Amino acid sequence: MNLLWDNGLFLLKGAYYTLLITVVAMFFGLLIGIVVALARLKGNLPVRWLARAYVSVVRGTPAFVQILIVYYGLVDYGITLGPLTAAYVALSINVGAYLSETFRGAILAIPKGQTEAAYATGMTPWQALRRIIFPQAARVAIAPMGNTFIGMLKETSLVSVITVTELLRSAQLLVAQYYVYMPFYLGVAAMYWVMSTLFSAILEAIEKRLSKVY
Amino acid sequence: MMIQTNGLSKSFGGTEVLKTIDLQVAAKEIVVLLGPSGSGKSTLLRCLNGLEELSGGSVEVNGVRVASDMPARKKSAGFREIRRNAGMVFQQFNLYPHKTALGNVIESLLTVKKLPRAEAERIGYRLLERVGLAAKKDEYPSRLSGGQQQRVAIARALAMEPSVMLFDEPTSALDPELVGEVLEVMRQLAQEGMTMVVVTHEMKFARQVANRVVFMDGGIIVEEQEPESFFRSPESDRARKFLNQLSEH
Repeated sequence: MNLLWDNGLFLLKGAYYTLLITVVAMFFGLLIGIVVALARLKGNLPVRWLARAYVSVVRGTPAFVQILIVYYGLVDYGITLGPLTAAYVALSINVGAYLSETFRGAILAIPKGQTEAAYATGMTPWQALRRIIFPQAARVAIAPMGNTFIGMLKETSLVSVITVTELLRSAQLLVAQYYVYMPFYLGVAAMYWVMSTLFSAILEAIEKRLSKVY
Repeated sequence: MMIQTNGLSKSFGGTEVLKTIDLQVAAKEIVVLLGPSGSGKSTLLRCLNGLEELSGGSVEVNGVRVASDMPARKKSAGFREIRRNAGMVFQQFNLYPHKTALGNVIESLLTVKKLPRAEAERIGYRLLERVGLAAKKDEYPSRLSGGQQQRVAIARALAMEPSVMLFDEPTSALDPELVGEVLEVMRQLAQEGMTMVVVTHEMKFARQVANRVVFMDGGIIVEEQEPESFFRSPESDRARKFLNQLSEH
């Protein structure tokens, strides 16, 4: 226990990186997800096909492999990314695919009559999407998005393998230094749990507020 | 002519739902489309503002013409212009659930006409007053009865100051006791000189308010008459059969 306290700051810094990577990956994943969902729903044939291929490949391969490809693999083509940048890129691409499916489903869940009503008053397709469909789809998407977010929080532990000193790697470094395993691994497990639970609570509160509006 | 279709046809997959329809509606005229279900009357209405893509022929509303053989870009621009001029009311109301009654009415004023919010709200409030729902302006649709929702939907369609109103079975989804309040608003609109095309099963409304009944069956216009003579002595067998079936209920 003392070992944990003594190295608390070091572990907290790891937790900070875990959070940072999660938030950054979620942010860019969100953008990717929206664009890809729209590409699949509204794009012409090649665009739809491309978007589909992206989702299929990302969902059909392990995130771990994706991280290795971005960090180590791209070097072969002269693209050298720092560990943290590689983590951002790999995880954004990864989570973007999952989120695009969430958004696509949410948009499809909004009745066709909503779009028709918007069109009937003279709105362009983009105006109808932005003003009428997105706000309703967001409410549908918020719960599965929350799950993805918490999944991502835990998935960030994978980037420890490319030397990003996030929470898990902080523990591994301490293990290597002190030659004891359990306190550090249990410690970081507890920290993951606290963060997940905290975010679950926050997301639940957001969900409740959103569902109260109408 | 306020509305004119020439050789308008529409197919879904292989089935022809509308076959070369020539319909004319004059300004301030109130036309009721009657016919058995599947006769194509709703499809015809939805072709007038381009909610259904035309398979053939053309549509002209208030001087804006769209033909099925135009390039896609020109068609969608044309229909967008038509829609600004033609309000539509749907069977299922299709109010925006995430907006209040007032929010529903002013949405297109903000988005399409780009009016400042204060001005849009002033107009919206007046329209809600007109359909008797000013007191409900801050309610969300989920808190309104079906009849109230449909009246908000009418106010929403009126917000763009359309020269034509299209009604697609506006009372069919309503409980019987709520039908009257919606028909009353429509009657009032008719009196104010609005051009209206109405798909409905409300025979009393057709008889009392319409200037002309257009009877459709199997994707064609079978006959057009003044309501009095249509209901008294329909010319076609199909119309006679249709009216007989109705009176049996």
